Amino acid sequence: MTYPEECGGLLLGVVDEDGTRTIRDVLPLENVRRESRNNRVELDPLAYARAERDAAKRGLGVWGYYHSHPDHPAVPSLFDLEHAPFTEWSYLIVSVREGLSEELRAWVVREDRSQFDEEKIL
Amino acid sequence: MPRISIPAALRQYADNQGTILVEGSRVGEALSSLTAQYPELKKHLYDKEGRLRSFVNIYVNDEDIRYGQQNETAIKEDDEISIIPSIAGGVITEAKVKAPAPDLSREELARYSRHLIMPEVGMEGQLKLKAASVLLIGAGGLGSPLGLYLAAAGIGRIGLVDFDVVDQSNLQRQILHGTKDVGRPKLESARDRLSDINPHIQLDTYETALTSDNALEILKDYDVIIDGTDNFQTRYLANDASVLLGKPNVYGSIFRFDGQASVFYPKAGGPCYRCLYPEPPPPGLVPSCAEGGVLGVLPGIIGVIQATEAIKLIIGQGEPLIGRLLLFDALKMRFRELKLRRNPECPLCGDHPTINALVDYDQFCGVTPHEEAPGADDWEITVTQLKERLDQGDRPTIIDVREPHEWQIANLEQYGARLIPLGQVADRLGELNPEDDIVLHCKMGGRSAKAYETLKKAGFKKIKNLKGGITAWADQVDKSMPKY
Repeated sequence: MTYPEECGGLLLGVVDEDGTRTIRDVLPLENVRRESRNNRVELDPLAYARAERDAAKRGLGVWGYYHSHPDHPAVPSLFDLEHAPFTEWSYLIVSVREGLSEELRAWVVREDRSQFDEEKIL
Repeated sequence: MPRISIPAALRQYADNQGTILVEGSRVGEALSSLTAQYPELKKHLYDKEGRLRSFVNIYVNDEDIRYGQQNETAIKEDDEISIIPSIAGGVITEAKVKAPAPDLSREELARYSRHLIMPEVGMEGQLKLKAASVLLIGAGGLGSPLGLYLAAAGIGRIGLVDFDVVDQSNLQRQILHGTKDVGRPKLESARDRLSDINPHIQLDTYETALTSDNALEILKDYDVIIDGTDNFQTRYLANDASVLLGKPNVYGSIFRFDGQASVFYPKAGGPCYRCLYPEPPPPGLVPSCAEGGVLGVLPGIIGVIQATEAIKLIIGQGEPLIGRLLLFDALKMRFRELKLRRNPECPLCGDHPTINALVDYDQFCGVTPHEEAPGADDWEITVTQLKERLDQGDRPTIIDVREPHEWQIANLEQYGARLIPLGQVADRLGELNPEDDIVLHCKMGGRSAKAYETLKKAGFKKIKNLKGGITAWADQVDKSMPKY
């Protein structure tokens, strides 16, 4: 809906003992960036804190986040790598072309934060 | 006691607790007591230098401590300290460039005015270009337009690696060098030309072949690597060194009327050259430009595409060629694009890399055994040795495996040479006697080495490959012979 600007939000769910993340709910958050909204998204930290608290009450946790790449492939950028907070999260990227979502891919960041690897969406 | 709330993603490092009670009257003390209790948490929250990671924000209740007293922020009994990741993303991939240059001189402002008035470049972008360093591997066909345009664009530091001297046959496409430069080292004429185009930039030249021993040392200080090489050994070497150092490698290649370009940058999620071509072709199968020819303007087209990509990476604008292979056909005048994905099985940039250091690229590309293996030189004959044998009246069967249009330029017909193009050798073995003394030649020795293997497998025993081909003959034996 925000096209041609970027959008993003949190992935709420649970994680198994074998590390499989099951996403139960998706929580869109507002893009709080003022500039370069066509190629940058930033989520409100306090909204994140509330989401983490509310999720805990429902027995869920924040296990990743998604954001859009307007008119670009669903491949993480170097900016994404440098701003990926947790190695335990799933990073979902959806490419949007002319207002329609084109491709959804999931990524995880390596322990040494050197690069992203693609992750299977089950 | 004050408490610290832990994000779900990090609870596994804190005995799966969501909230932990801590001692302390300041935020810094509280965090120290937390990480003392759970050392595993420390490496997720702090970098190697012991600073809070850039994406970790610490809030006391609803206040970011960055805007308060930082670590000295006071905490009370029932305060809640939250670890909150800053969550940001974006499409643009920029090469990692050192801090932008502080400013532009008056001359530079005038020089770059057409950049400065575009918002996509502007002062910010031009200062990034000035701070950036780009390494050009090769100062030949691709290196010429690359060097000229990158220098003109104001890239602050350009490195050039090449060890060749300017030859007549370079002038048809290598526009860095002029007629007066024939015989000079390419790096000298490149330096003259580029410093004339832009005296405000720094030029660093490396008059050496890029090897496994020097590649990492040369590449490590550059922000962007550009592959303008003409052989597979250096191409794999440039790729591997760039991936190991986490740098973008702007790739281009040309042959006859066709060109390719891409940006290899696994660190930004894209593939590397090995994902595209895991193995080099067998030596001699793919002719080089020296053997197969190249349209003179083709490196101009591909080289400026590479220069454009390098500039985009530095200023962080537009959609880079990462994950896309651009194919250009000059005869059809058509561009096509293929999607490339990083190969998870790639031995270099895949999920479980097995190549963690540079290897021997001559060996990897199958070049060494013929050219350098000791004791194996008896498979080749030099042009002077052949001339001596011919002068002594010896008449080996000379087989030229080039193409008919090459034969028309120059040949050894006066010594009885016959033309059997490489592609027909296997089918025309019946025309040859396995007991005869046979000398195989092509333009430079690559294709005839391939023919050598074919004949050897067919049981021919007395065969020799003419080292350096007809080019060496024209250089060393018959200087009146036309070279091409």
